[in-house]
Amino acid sequence: MTTVEMPKLPESQKTYAGIPEAVFVEDVDTFMAQPENDNNSDRVLRKLDEQHGKYKFMELNIATKRRKLKQQIPDLAKSLEMINILRNQADDMETQFLLSEQVFVKTTISPTKTVCLWLGANVMLEYPLDEAEELLKQNMDSAIVNLKCLEHDQDFLRDQLTTTEVNMARVYNWDLKKRQAAKAASTTPASS
Amino acid sequence: MTSKTASSSKGTFQPDSDVHITFEDQQKINIFAKHNAKLEDLKEELKVKQNDLKNLEEASDEIELFDEDEQIPFLLGEVFISHNLPKTQELLTEAKEKKKKEIKEIESKCKELGDIIGDLKSQLYGRFGSHIYLENDED
Repeated sequence: MTTVEMPKLPESQKTYAGIPEAVFVEDVDTFMAQPENDNNSDRVLRKLDEQHGKYKFMELNIATKRRKLKQQIPDLAKSLEMINILRNQADDMETQFLLSEQVFVKTTISPTKTVCLWLGANVMLEYPLDEAEELLKQNMDSAIVNLKCLEHDQDFLRDQLTTTEVNMARVYNWDLKKRQAAKAASTTPASS
Repeated sequence: MTSKTASSSKGTFQPDSDVHITFEDQQKINIFAKHNAKLEDLKEELKVKQNDLKNLEEASDEIELFDEDEQIPFLLGEVFISHNLPKTQELLTEAKEKKKKEIKEIESKCKELGDIIGDLKSQLYGRFGSHIYLENDED
């Protein structure tokens, strides 16, 4: 397969689909002391959880799109192969052709200079062999580029997901530690 | 539907309260998770391709005993094209070679990822010890 160029990303964006980046927490104490977090671990955890849910939803979407594209590419490759076969065909060929699922019908194909391509939306157009090949090649190239973009986004998304999970764990542990420290501080004066 | 996308417990990270995590560490964890997920995807693909190869082998075994002139419909995309025995065998061998090559590529990528993952694992365990959990839950 020819190497395909990925489209360039605009300067400020890291993904093709515009996925928000998760904030990495350097130090939990300073992070919690920020005015919006106000040392309220409950609120922070809820916010992070919401973010986590959104990321998971996006991940599901991207995975579905990726699977569809992955299926499209071999289909396009097979169509290209068919065009080559039709081009080299010299005399009548007998074949069985898919009428509907599980049903094939016997037909004879005489050498032809044109093919009909499904363009989707119930539209089929007749093309001369060479143009059809051109069109299919273009479709395949754009499918491959889209797949690469999706994979890039998927990787980025996974990173954000992991960062958010780690942040949640750290905030939770920080809260736990604070509670334990508070409990220890409140019991020690009593025992002195 | 959910099984493909639910990668929840592959390499869970539970940092402990006293351990400080730097940006570098976070990036290493991210890379680990990314490679792990890619490895899982590749393993799935590998299974599918190996199944295809098995089917091709079985098919070529089946037709070995046929007559020379017997027309064998060969599936190309959505249509069957009938060929005689030698031609069909040739097509099958070609298809098998292609599959074997693809399988080799996937296997080498898997090995590469596996090496990086092993390396990162030792680094992260060295850094965090028992505070981090990096094993895959075997299904």
